[in-house]
Formats: sequence, structure tokens, C-alpha cells
Amino acid sequence: MNTHNPSSAPSYQIHCRMTQEAAALERLCQVVRVRGFRIHQMAVHTAGDHLEIALTLEGARPIAMLQAQLEKLHSVAEVCLAMPSLARPRTA
Amino acid sequence: MNGAQHILEAFHRHQITTVFGYPGGCIMPLYDALVDDVGVEHVLCRHEQACALAADGYARASGRLGVCIATSGPGATNLITGVANAHRDSVPLLVITGQVPAPLIGTDAFQETDVLGMTLGIVKHSYLVEDANALPGILEDAINLAQSGRPGPVWIDIPKDLLLAEVQTRAPARPPRPEPACPDIREALALLRDARRPLLYSGGGVSLAHAEASFRAFAEASGLPGVTTLKGIGNAGKHNPDDLGMLGMHGSRAANRAVDECDLLLVIGARLDDRATGRLDGFAANARLIHIDADAAEIGKLRPADVALRGDLNAILGAFTEALRQTPLAIEPWRKQCREWRTTGGFATADNEEPHAPITGPAFVRQLSRIAPDDTLIACDVGQHQMWVAQHYRFDHPRHHLTSGGLGTMGFGLPAAIGAQFADRQATVINVSGDGSFMMNAQELATIRRYQLPVKLIILDNQCLGMVRQQQELFYNNRESQIDLDDNPDFVAMARAFDIPALHIERTDQIRRGIETILAYRGPMLLHVAIAREDNVWPIVKPGASNREMIDQPRRTTNASKEQVA
Ligand SMILES: Cc1ncc(C[n+]2csc(CCOP(=O)(O)OP(=O)(O)O)c2C)c(N)n1
Repeated sequence: MNTHNPSSAPSYQIHCRMTQEAAALERLCQVVRVRGFRIHQMAVHTAGDHLEIALTLEGARPIAMLQAQLEKLHSVAEVCLAMPSLARPRTA
Repeated sequence: MNGAQHILEAFHRHQITTVFGYPGGCIMPLYDALVDDVGVEHVLCRHEQACALAADGYARASGRLGVCIATSGPGATNLITGVANAHRDSVPLLVITGQVPAPLIGTDAFQETDVLGMTLGIVKHSYLVEDANALPGILEDAINLAQSGRPGPVWIDIPKDLLLAEVQTRAPARPPRPEPACPDIREALALLRDARRPLLYSGGGVSLAHAEASFRAFAEASGLPGVTTLKGIGNAGKHNPDDLGMLGMHGSRAANRAVDECDLLLVIGARLDDRATGRLDGFAANARLIHIDADAAEIGKLRPADVALRGDLNAILGAFTEALRQTPLAIEPWRKQCREWRTTGGFATADNEEPHAPITGPAFVRQLSRIAPDDTLIACDVGQHQMWVAQHYRFDHPRHHLTSGGLGTMGFGLPAAIGAQFADRQATVINVSGDGSFMMNAQELATIRRYQLPVKLIILDNQCLGMVRQQQELFYNNRESQIDLDDNPDFVAMARAFDIPALHIERTDQIRRGIETILAYRGPMLLHVAIAREDNVWPIVKPGASNREMIDQPRRTTNASKEQVA
């Protein structure tokens, strides 16, 4: 994995909605870590059978790549990057 | 019906007729249900890793779902390498493990391991069943998910008490997933028409999408020269004069040169893996890139695409083919150039005719390629022999070549060959292995004997871990470290201990007879091929270097037994 000094890396805010099921959060966090990002802050609340997750992430790699990997997770319904034009619903 | 019976019911509904597994405490309810089942053939391998790899080989050879089953704890942990292998190569697998009874989870019960936690990174998705009534829906979803979009392994971990519990629900009817609409190809087509030196770069995604026929139609209509990744070998068929073969670390000089000189790279069903691209900043540096893939996350992951087309490869290739049939590309000079490179820098080299010369890996594989029937399934292990197969065997179809690409799993070949033979009982299935790899799943000789599978086993024995030795020689100042296998068992005797007849050869003039003998034999047979310890795979690109920096075999004029290099 590309190691970098997290404190000098750009910071992003991501909002994620995913199905509440066993290991849901671990799955999400694992992808974030493996794809080269560090979780700076994380807030979770339950909404029916879904989890709403707000993440502040740091990482030197392109955030769009992480977004695409998170969207690929079967249990993830939506990933929004806190930049107006980049919010996109899952397609498949 | 209890949970276990529901699993079998789901197998029947989805025409799953063969599963690979190994019993144990927490999965016993499923094995109990199997006793009364006539529709599912359970194949007992001798190690759970082999169950997963056999299911993988079954899926690769057939294009259908592979299924493996194991118990909790060590059964599940033993599956992991095989499942990771399927994950890295996008092979559709359904993995079912028993778990300790739900009330015991988290108590460090006997044979409890956190399967879900351990396997997150090697599955497309996974489930821990927490309610018996959820099981039918989970099974339905898992079976569909493993095979849809970009395929992959889906793992269901089921506590033993839920396998035994009465299930009140039935499998829900799931609406078929909508096919992604064919994206607009006009921009890509314009780039393609603009290019003077366009090149096809195809990978394993072609067969994963069952798009082999669409790919060939497209290759023919476009007339594009092409290179393939390790997993794309066979995409173009064995008679396509514009196919330059595999690119990358052990790719042909022709393929790497064409990538270097092209002005447009059309990437189809490939993820631009580092073993294929070499150092990225030196890869197709002057080319624009069109990337076609089923997986949006692969597009732009390593190299930005000028045009990205995400969707069903069949539909996209069909649209291109139609457009190109109407107005063909005008790229004759480039095609001619690529064909010239193919002649001078392909893998075809003249075999040494000296009858008493020692056997070389490439010479053996070329003879095998000439003698074996066209539809032979070749399962490889990992190492030099794997690269010699990739370079010198001429595959007519990508599903004929079973190779561990992404994970590079030594020990893949033998169980994968077993799986492939179950996928097609009539097929000629050959496992080409190295002496190191063969020993990683040698226990599966017992499976071959048990089911009397006519798998042909070839060991290219250089008495060492050849691929590691080669890199130590070339990149670690020839400082050999822990690669010697000169105390290997007597492989011929070992095979015979499993009632598998075996033959040893060591001279060039014995190759043909050796191959013909094992192919003619009705049952399983092993051919032990002694090759020189110091033979290397050529050409080679140093890991991390650019593909421009290919190293060729040094010419050895004194040794008459060495072949001339292309
Ligand atoms: C399970 C596993 N362990 C280690 C490796 C690293 N590795 C890659 S090739 C190789 C040597 C393979 O030796 P052998 O099977 O005899 O094949 P050869 O290279 O001699 O043809 C090793 C150790 C691996 N790929 N897989």
C-alpha cells in the first residue's frame, strides 16, 4: 500500500448509506483502509434497516477511486462525497 | 424442511449438481441431509484448500457457479487461500461453512473462528445467517450475486443450530437484475477511427462476461492487432495472425513493443495489472486509452481512460462490430508492422532437434501444444512452468487455460484440474505443474484415484523453486536462498502409491512418446519430466521496471542444447 503522511494528505467528507447486517461497518472500514485512506472521524446512526455513516477521511490517493470501491460493496446503497457535483447513487 | 435441506433445495433449483467439500462438526447437518439427496454429487477432496480450488477450476472450465463446503474453524481457514484465489480472478463461487451454534458465537467455543471478519477482503460479499428464516433469501441472493456483474466468491457462514432449525419461509422470487444499457460508443469509435496504430488489449473479463464469440467477431471486423493478459490468452483463438500473445513481465517482445508504439489502446475486460503493464509511467506512453469493463471501479483505477465504457461486454462489442463492418478501419501499415514483429519477436522458436539433448520447458510445452487435442483443458500451477505454458501453448479458447493469475497460488493446478474434469467428464484435462507447486496439494492424488478421474499429470521437475531461483540469479546477485528441492520424493513411485501409473522422461527424443502415452491411457497418468535446474523464462522484465526494459536470454554459443531465442 502506498504509505503517506496522513496529516499532510487531503481530507474528504463522505456520506454512506448501507444495509444493516453482520460486519457491515467492518466491511466499509476495511475497504477504506486497504484503498489507502485513514478514518479521521466517523459517525453512525441507524435509520430503519439502514446505517447512515458520515466519514471524514484522509488520504493521498484519488477519492473517486475509493468512492467507486465503496459503491461496489453489495451492502452499500449510496455514497456521497461532500462536494456538490460528485454525489452519485449506486448504479448496479 | 430444516436449514440444511433448504440449501440442497436451492442447489436443485439452480441446477447445482456438483459440490466440493469436507465434513466436520458444525457442518454435519448439511452432510446428514446429503445422505438422502440424489441430485447433488459431493466430491470429497483431501484438504479444504483443494475443495475451494477445485470449485474454482470447475467454474473456470464450465462458466458455471463453483460450490465448496467446509466446517467451522480449521475447515473455514483452510478454504481461505482457494477463495482468495477465486476472488482475485473474479471466479463465481458459493462458499458454505458451518459455524458454531449461534448462542456460542463469541464464547471461544470449540472450532469457533470469526469467519466473516477473516474473509472480508477476499469475497464479493458474505453473510452470517442470524435467523433461519432468512436463509432461503440469503441463498437466493448469494447464488445470483456470485454470478452477476463482475463475478466473485460469496460466502455464507451458517451456525449449526440454524442448519437444524425448521425454516418457515420459502425462497423469495427475485426479479432478474436489469442488464446495464449499452453505453454510447460514438466517442470511442471516433477515437478508434482517428488512430493510426490502434491496439487491442484483452483480459480475463472477456470470458467472465461469456463474450468470447462477440470478442472474436469484433477482432475480425476491426482487424486490430492484439495483445492479451495472462488470463486473456486464447481470446483471439489460435489462428489469428494479428494476435501478438501475452504482454508484460514474461510477455513476448512483439506484444510489449506494440503496446509501446501504439497510439490507441483499447482495453477490454482487463484491469491493467502491474505484471502486465510494468512500470506505469512507461506503459503505452504515447497512447490514448479506451477502457471497456463490467466493473466501474476498474476504470481509471491505474490509468485514466480517455473514454470509458462500462457495461455488458457482449452488447458493447456487438455495437463496435456492427459499426466496423459498415466502415472498416484503415490500418494496413500498422497491421503489417505488427505481423512482422510477431514473426521476429513472438514466442515461436525452433526446437532443438538433437535427440539426446536435455528437455527444456518451452520445447516440451510446444510439443504438448501440437499433440494435445484442440479442446484440451490445461490447468497450471505457478512458476516458470506456468509462464512456459502461457508463452508456448497455443490456446484456442480462454476457458481452456486454467491459471492462477491475480493471486498466483502454488498448488492451484491439481485441484483445478480435478474441478475441470468434473465440469466436463469427457474432456482431456492436463495439469502442468512444477515440482514445488505439485507438492502443495499432492494429497489430491487420492481424490483422482477415488473418482477415477482421467486427469493427466505433468511435472516439469527442475528440482528447485525455479521462478524464485531465476529472480535470485538475475536480481539478487545469484545468491540462492531456500530454493533447493533436490530431495524431492520419487514422483513416479508416489503416483504409483495412489494406483496412478507414471512415466519418467529426460531427453528430447522422449517427449513425443511420453505425451502420447499419457494421452492414450484411459485413466489418470503422471508424466515426470526432468528439466535443467538453471533454465530460465525469457524474456523477463525486472519487477517494477518498464516493459521497454525487457531482458532477453543471453546467447550461449557453447551449449548446443540451448535453443535460440526469438
Ligand atoms: C502458495 C505460494 N507460495 C509461494 C509462492 C511464491 N512462488 C512463486 S513461484 C515459486 C516457485 C514455484 O516452483 P515450482 O512449482 O517448482 O515451479 P518452477 O518455477 O520451478 O517451474 C514460488 C515459491 C507462491 N506463488 N504461492
